[in-house]
Amino acid sequence: MSKIQISKNEIRPARIMIYNCDVLGWRPNYYRMTFVCLILVLLLIGANGAAKSDEEDDDEITFRDFSLYIGDRIELEDYQIELIEIQSIRDGLVVMRVSKVGGSLDEQRALLLDRPNNFDRGADNGGITITIAEIFDEQSARVRLEYKEKLGTPRKRSSDRPQTAPEKPDLWVDKSFDKSEMNVGDESKVTITIKNNGTGPAVGIEVQDIPPLPQFTYIAGYPPKIKETLDPGQSDSAVYMVNAAKEGTVSIPSVLIRYADRKGNSLSNRSEPFSIVILPRSRADLNINAEDNITLALEEEGRLNITILNSGSASATKIEVTGDVRPGEGLEAVGLDKSFFEIAPGDAAAFSASIHGQKPGDYAIRLKANYNDGEGLAIREATARVTVLEREYKYHYLLAIIPIAIISFWIYRRHREYKY
Amino acid sequence: MLNVLMLGVGQCGNRILDAMNREAFGGGASKLSRYYLRPKFPSRVETLAVNTAINDLKELRFTTAKDRLHVPNLHGVGANRNVGKQAFMENRDMIMGEIEKRGDFDIAFVITSTSGGTGSSFSPLLINELKRQYKDIAVITVAVLPFREEGSIYLQNAAFSMRELMELDAEGIILADNQYMKRFSGDIASAYDKINTMIAQRLLFLIESLDSEMLSVTDLGDFKTVMNGGLRIGTMGFYQADSKNLSIRDAIQNSLKPANLLYPANVADDAARAMIIIQGSQEHLDVDEITKEVERLSASAGHVFKGIVVKKGRPKVLSVFTLASAPELEAIYAQAARAMQEEKEKRTRARKQLDEAFAHIEDLEEIY
Ligand SMILES: Nc1nc2c(ncn2[C@@H]2O[C@H](COP(=O)(O)OP(=O)(O)OP(=O)(O)O)[C@@H](O)[C@H]2O)c(=O)[nH]1
Ligand SMILES: [Mg+2]
Repeated sequence: MSKIQISKNEIRPARIMIYNCDVLGWRPNYYRMTFVCLILVLLLIGANGAAKSDEEDDDEITFRDFSLYIGDRIELEDYQIELIEIQSIRDGLVVMRVSKVGGSLDEQRALLLDRPNNFDRGADNGGITITIAEIFDEQSARVRLEYKEKLGTPRKRSSDRPQTAPEKPDLWVDKSFDKSEMNVGDESKVTITIKNNGTGPAVGIEVQDIPPLPQFTYIAGYPPKIKETLDPGQSDSAVYMVNAAKEGTVSIPSVLIRYADRKGNSLSNRSEPFSIVILPRSRADLNINAEDNITLALEEEGRLNITILNSGSASATKIEVTGDVRPGEGLEAVGLDKSFFEIAPGDAAAFSASIHGQKPGDYAIRLKANYNDGEGLAIREATARVTVLEREYKYHYLLAIIPIAIISFWIYRRHREYKY
Repeated sequence: MLNVLMLGVGQCGNRILDAMNREAFGGGASKLSRYYLRPKFPSRVETLAVNTAINDLKELRFTTAKDRLHVPNLHGVGANRNVGKQAFMENRDMIMGEIEKRGDFDIAFVITSTSGGTGSSFSPLLINELKRQYKDIAVITVAVLPFREEGSIYLQNAAFSMRELMELDAEGIILADNQYMKRFSGDIASAYDKINTMIAQRLLFLIESLDSEMLSVTDLGDFKTVMNGGLRIGTMGFYQADSKNLSIRDAIQNSLKPANLLYPANVADDAARAMIIIQGSQEHLDVDEITKEVERLSASAGHVFKGIVVKKGRPKVLSVFTLASAPELEAIYAQAARAMQEEKEKRTRARKQLDEAFAHIEDLEEIY
């Protein structure tokens, strides 16, 4: 195990700088902007002198930037420089290992971003100076190597070790209701599921679930509890019960989770927001359908068919149907009163009453259904009209005409007999 | 069964005949009865209304059209019996033919006023014809005397026609006196109706009785005998017992009281022969009482026939009697003669005055 040291060397102003574009990833950041400006100024001031010194002095210090992945090495004469780990992007800490063939140097050190670190007393004194110029991500960084030209040309050796996946947690969060449509008064189960789809464990998991009030009231299980730590591939869920309180379309805010990786890097994620429709409270709604405009002959027996349909969204219970005939005399109806225990939504109950016309006329049969619609007592009414026809005297009138004719003839004859 | 001919001649006779037809429909029948009922006579009765005035015939209600016979006479008779007689003679065959059509008869009643023109002139001639045509027919005249104040012509007509009727070889006259029955009603129209009904009821009762099987027999022969008595002028009385007094004795006495007679007569003093016909339920008809009462009547009235018809109902009694004397009729003659004399004197006086007036121009010529 190598000891990690943090060097506190001062920044040494560079005299000659060669900008090596091919190692730069195009990622804007503050450091890089500063650096580009600096190079441009120096190029303008010292272009002439640089050319001169190349020719004059072999001991000149030069530098070169390398983009390194973890495990990649730079070889310069006997020096071997390896990127071990990006310890913290936030803090700008990168662990480098510098060793020398023969074993005179073997040091592992945590380097702070933009701070030159001297090894073997630094480039000024024939050693090397390493600066972490930029941290690209968890796996790679740009490293600047300063050295005396006489040491030769540094070469990059890619890691021969297989690239190990970085330990990065990636939490996915989901919030769901067990129904996307509900009625006021309905209970719903809300499930919050978190899954670690990443490669490293997530720690310090916190869930922020803003309750969608006032459309819901919370019954049990709130706030949701989720494990504080989830290893890669693990998942956890929490359930709580809500009760829809107000109708309307409710947009359910997303759940926010905060967590950190093992290195203490804070991460967060949120679920997709969605909306839920809360319909009015479900009730039973009965419709009485009775055959209307029934025509009966006098003394005829007929049937009145009655259907009770529940077009509501809840069951109707304790259904009591009663009926009465107006006017009260002349039409006899048997079987108008009926009761049912329950009519499920969408279902219908049917029955029929027998009616018997005793007197010609127009009658109204008024049907009334009392029931519990789920909320309370409800009443529905319907009317069926029945007409009892006059007795048809189709040919009977002939029977009346004959005596009338006889009487008329008789009276006429008598009249003639006495008329003088 | 009796075959009866009822002839109503002149307006008065027509109307009494119509009243009989009405009674035959049932007591108090209305005008509509004729549409659903048939007149019911106790015997075979033929009725015929004869008149020269067509309006009088039209006025009838209960007589069939075929029973109304109009005798056409250009200007009517105008209460003139001479014109009437002429009209009858001119139409005699037609009238008699109309009667013959109705078959044979045992008895005929000729109903007429004595004071009008048509009835009083037709009736004597008609009766003569009947007697000639029908061998064994009994003809009874029902003669109505006028109200006394109706005027000298009516009185004169009554006097002459009564004499003619009495001289006929017929079975007798039954008198009805308007003047006497006037007391029943204030106004003339209803008095006529009342009188006509009374006459009609009595005649129907008489026919019914003559044709019934009687306990104690009276028949057409007995009736003829009664009518043949005295002056051969008689009248009728009628009484129906009311429920308060069902005594048959009282009923008989009441039927003879002046109030129930058609002509004012005193039975005890004036009756020549009588006939008492009693009808009623068996229990009311006490034969002893009846016999006693009839005997009492016989003491003053000569012979009294009695007939009893047992029929459900309160006792009814019809009395028919002829008179040995007729003071009222004599009074009419006196009154008529006086009136005629007065008329004659008035006429001569007026003539004399006019002649005196003519005297003024006796020697003058018309100057132009
Ligand atoms: N009882 C009675 N008397 C009547 C009735 N009508 C008329 N008289 C009497 O009859 C007399 C008149 O005679 P009418 O019968 O009318 O005369 P007529 O025979 O038709 O003759 P003319 O009319 O002259 O052609 C009068 O004395 C009336 O009072 C009647 O309905 N009942
Ligand atoms: Mg006349």
